[in-house]
Amino acid sequence: MTHVIGQRIPRHDAILQVTGKAEYGIDLARRGMLHAKVLRSALPHAKLLKLDTTRARNLPGVAAVITAADVPNNRFGFTHLDQPLLAEDKVRYRGDAIAAIAADSLKTAEEALRLIDVEYEPLPGIFDPVQAMEPDAPKIHGESNIASHIKIRYGDIELGWSRSDEIVEDTLTTQMIEHASIEPHAALAEVDGRGMVTVHSSVQRPFLIATDLSKILKIPLNRIRVVVTAVGGGFGGKNEITMEPYICLLALKTGKPVKLVYTREEEFQATTVRHPYIVKYKSGVKKDGTLVARQARIVSDAGAYVSWGESTLSKACIHGAGPYRIPNVKIDGYLVYTNNSIGGAMRGFGVPQLGFAHEVHTDHIAEKLGIDPLEFRLKNALVDGSSLPTGQVLESVPLKETMRQAVQLIGWKKEVAWDEKAR
Amino acid sequence: MKKRGKGIACMVYPIGFTSYPNPSAAFVQVNQDGSAVVLTGATDVGQGSTTALAQIAAEELGIAYDAVTMVTSDTQRTPFDLGSVASRVTYITGNAVKRAAGDAKKTLLQVAAEMLDVMSPDELEAGDGKIYVKNSPDRNVSVAAVAREATLVKGRPPIGEGSYNPTTTFLDPETGHGKPYEAYVFATQIAEVEVDTETGQVDVLKIAAAHDCGKAINPLLVEGQIEGGVAMGLGYGLMEEMVLENGVVKNPQFTDYILPTALDMPLIETAIVEVPVSTGPFGAKGVGEPSLIPTAPAIVNAIYDAIGIRIYDLPATPSKILAALKEKERANILKEEE
Repeated sequence: MTHVIGQRIPRHDAILQVTGKAEYGIDLARRGMLHAKVLRSALPHAKLLKLDTTRARNLPGVAAVITAADVPNNRFGFTHLDQPLLAEDKVRYRGDAIAAIAADSLKTAEEALRLIDVEYEPLPGIFDPVQAMEPDAPKIHGESNIASHIKIRYGDIELGWSRSDEIVEDTLTTQMIEHASIEPHAALAEVDGRGMVTVHSSVQRPFLIATDLSKILKIPLNRIRVVVTAVGGGFGGKNEITMEPYICLLALKTGKPVKLVYTREEEFQATTVRHPYIVKYKSGVKKDGTLVARQARIVSDAGAYVSWGESTLSKACIHGAGPYRIPNVKIDGYLVYTNNSIGGAMRGFGVPQLGFAHEVHTDHIAEKLGIDPLEFRLKNALVDGSSLPTGQVLESVPLKETMRQAVQLIGWKKEVAWDEKAR
Repeated sequence: MKKRGKGIACMVYPIGFTSYPNPSAAFVQVNQDGSAVVLTGATDVGQGSTTALAQIAAEELGIAYDAVTMVTSDTQRTPFDLGSVASRVTYITGNAVKRAAGDAKKTLLQVAAEMLDVMSPDELEAGDGKIYVKNSPDRNVSVAAVAREATLVKGRPPIGEGSYNPTTTFLDPETGHGKPYEAYVFATQIAEVEVDTETGQVDVLKIAAAHDCGKAINPLLVEGQIEGGVAMGLGYGLMEEMVLENGVVKNPQFTDYILPTALDMPLIETAIVEVPVSTGPFGAKGVGEPSLIPTAPAIVNAIYDAIGIRIYDLPATPSKILAALKEKERANILKEEE
């Protein structure tokens, strides 16, 4: 019998992609559709004193303008319901949306944006997550800027230090980056004669978009349809609602299809990013290279809202010891509000930050001990039956096999002995 | 002077959501001509999941890949799927599709048992567009004939449903103990770099990437994922950085937010490490996110091997490397003077 599994079959849409026939969100068009634009905050942290859209609404060609008062349920979030769709009394970062406009042309919509009158009372901003943790730092939400504290405790860290011959400490930091999908966020909403709201959008999670739209618009799920277009890059950045509520509200208000495409500048300023992390590692080792203790303290810059920040940090903490057998582990992760861009889901979800940190730290330890970095990893690598610091026992762990095969492809600085039994 | 070095990095990464239920569902119908339609809410975000899911359905139904049509990601036409996130689609949606196809196949095998005059459907198997007796494959009937018989004679259209949700637990808030995931994957990447000590420029010459994915449903797509991940990891390690000043992004365009291009890409050698797991569809796990994780640290460790400079803050830009080289030189001179 021939098997389909394991066959090198080209993507089902390869022909559409290479001939330019795949329809992306950005390609969507309807007769008589309106074009939307979103007004963003001019300040990183401020009270909203006045918001007047009269002049914008009166501009010829403008079909509708919406503000917070038009959103039936103006709050969303995943672990923390802390984010408004449109700002109410306060703005917390430069990407905060204040109003959205639908007009018969993009040019008119852009012109109308400039006619919205906003009066702010600036508040002190906080941009450094470590400073934001101080008790007297300006507060972004409620009483504390620390949105979450994640803990992992395994073995006995003090015992681990006492059994260590050498202790190595490093502080590592990672930067804020954008998903930088070549296709920006793009969507079109339309309402039919029966009141069915259909959204075509370039997203990764249509069912989450539909559920959140249902809650925000207060429309039952059977009257909301989310259809995904071809997606020109997601990487976690198209994981949650962004523009969909605005265009649905504008389509409901005007009865016309409404399309919105973010500019590259909006992608950078007003969509989620990869959280910058500050990671302090402290590891204890025996002279023979056996890891016996590891402590990590992680500070994650959440930005103005939690979004996927807690879930991301949790995944980072779970994998904070790296792919190694370490009997004593203590990990603390802090998620901290700032007035920076919002950290969200991004490919690797916290683990690329930690992966950089623990692997550079691991090389540093190996160097201190005078052991080859590959041999040091082989000595401490997870194997079948090892536990993670969550206590979970791992069944199939071909980690050493990946090391062996990588070395086979590119070679290594010295010959190492491969243990045939332990995968 | 140009100096070369090699660096290694390893990783462990899970498949699926942390702790929270994250199911996927699928529907399958086998048509009267032996082709099939699969309905799934999973979204192909460029990684090729729709192709891999079609392969899973085809294998389970014993029909050709081209005989499967996929209907995907429409909240009113397809069943629930948590989404194309967390490296979960091949494993979780794949399991759902396999179960749905298996459910439709049950009807096919029952009808075929009567057509082939065997005691039990257990004696039958599907493959190459036929349903055949396991021990004597010459006794067979086409899937098309069985589907037609099932639908129009027996009045039992061969349809199937399936869903899958990995078994997980929440973590204890004080100790972090629990089983947040059902499956994990492992990987190693080794980078070879050349560093120009006059400019601080890092040229990544080659990356070897060995990734455990359980079983590759489609090796071409697995390699594509790995190569894309390495590109992303290279950007993370060497170039990309949003610069903010009082919350304002100062480089919000690709003119000064630097992404790697084809010209920056090294030769990438991939190895797919296959150790199938019993819980995955045909043993598969996933590879989506993991492919980027070891790249940046492998490059940074290779830079150290080349010039003895360890970069502790990403990205490892030429200016950081030059500053560190100058600092090292100054320290060496001071040491000599002493």
